[in-house]
Amino acid sequence: MNFNSLLKKLMNKPGSKTIAKKRLQFALLTDKLEIKTDTLADLQRDLVDVISRYFEIDKQSMKIDIQRSEEHSALIFNTPIIAAHRRREIPAT
Amino acid sequence: MDGKVIVVTSGKGGVGKTTITASIGAALALQGKRVVVVDMDIGLRNLDVVMGLENRIVFNIVDIIKNRCKIKQAAIKDRRIDNLFLIPASQSDDKDAIKPENMVWLANKLRKEFDITLLDCPAGIEQGFRNSVVAADEALVVCTPEVSSVRDADRIIGLLYAQSISPKLIVNRIVPKMVENGDMLSHEDVVDVLSIDLIGLIEMDDRVVVSANTGMPLVLQEDSKAGKAMQRIAMRLDGHPDLPIENPMIQKGFWKKLGSKFSRKN
Ligand SMILES: Nc1ncnc2c1ncn2[C@@H]1O[C@H](COP(=O)(O)OP(=O)(O)OP(=O)(O)O)[C@@H](O)[C@H]1O
Ligand SMILES: [Mg+2]
Repeated sequence: MNFNSLLKKLMNKPGSKTIAKKRLQFALLTDKLEIKTDTLADLQRDLVDVISRYFEIDKQSMKIDIQRSEEHSALIFNTPIIAAHRRREIPAT
Repeated sequence: MDGKVIVVTSGKGGVGKTTITASIGAALALQGKRVVVVDMDIGLRNLDVVMGLENRIVFNIVDIIKNRCKIKQAAIKDRRIDNLFLIPASQSDDKDAIKPENMVWLANKLRKEFDITLLDCPAGIEQGFRNSVVAADEALVVCTPEVSSVRDADRIIGLLYAQSISPKLIVNRIVPKMVENGDMLSHEDVVDVLSIDLIGLIEMDDRVVVSANTGMPLVLQEDSKAGKAMQRIAMRLDGHPDLPIENPMIQKGFWKKLGSKFSRKN
């Protein structure tokens, strides 16, 4: 360790690699969230199937999207509920 | 028993694929394996000059595929290192002169003739990459400790997994002094981000440039640290998977060594 790096350590100044690593981790995360349009369409279809078992929903006005901000990413799923199905009765044993 | 086909790839260009293919190929041949290295960069060949075999080219890989010659006629034998052969790329053909099925066929032929086939993949994820990957049993991913290079490596690793290949990582062009100063990602950082197995660490070494200038194999140069690192990677590929990976470090004199004893925190 030379004098400069010792000084850096003593002053607790992180090197540029700390920034590099943070940027890298963020880039990899957003890269992976970049989903093919097909995948999103498949997910929408599956979600409609599942939700329709519990609620009557308007399939046309349903929207699915991925929202990215600097802090985090979120899967946004928005659908108006038309009616709730009646709870299925538990079969008697 | 059939030999194995290993692709050397990276995503980002200029990180050392060709240098590493040439050196590991030479090292494996010196360890007694029958080795062929194949330049997959159709239209932009490079491996021949790095190996110092450029003036011996008669036929190339496209000639083999188009049935204009036998594999034996196109494979150039290195006269300095026994059992080392090069199949050069074509300089005049289009990138799509070779189809994936052609490469599968060629790889099967090479498995019969050679213990190890190394494919020097072009940068990018296009035809040359796809051709190399369909033919490969194993993969080495090369990156440098830089954000763009590691990110591209991550993409490549994903694509390889999709082809059921679990690649191993080589971090090249490490500058120990910068790592120590905190101005270069350490290999721990890179491995942490990519979460993949490491197979070698190669430092920045002037000898690499000298070797490329002269066409003299790096592993034949006594004093090359990069050459030594390549030899150890070759051993890990060939029967010694657990050979420890050495961390490139700053050469220290007596006083510096003493100093670091006192200043080391962890
Ligand atoms: N460890 C090293 N130390 C010093 N120089 C190096 C090292 N590794 C590679 N180089 C240099 O970096 C340059 C790029 O290397 P190389 O051609 O092997 O990369 P590549 O990944 O094959 O590039 P391409 O993507 O264009 O095919 C060359 O000039 C080479 O000499
Ligand atoms: Mg190259």
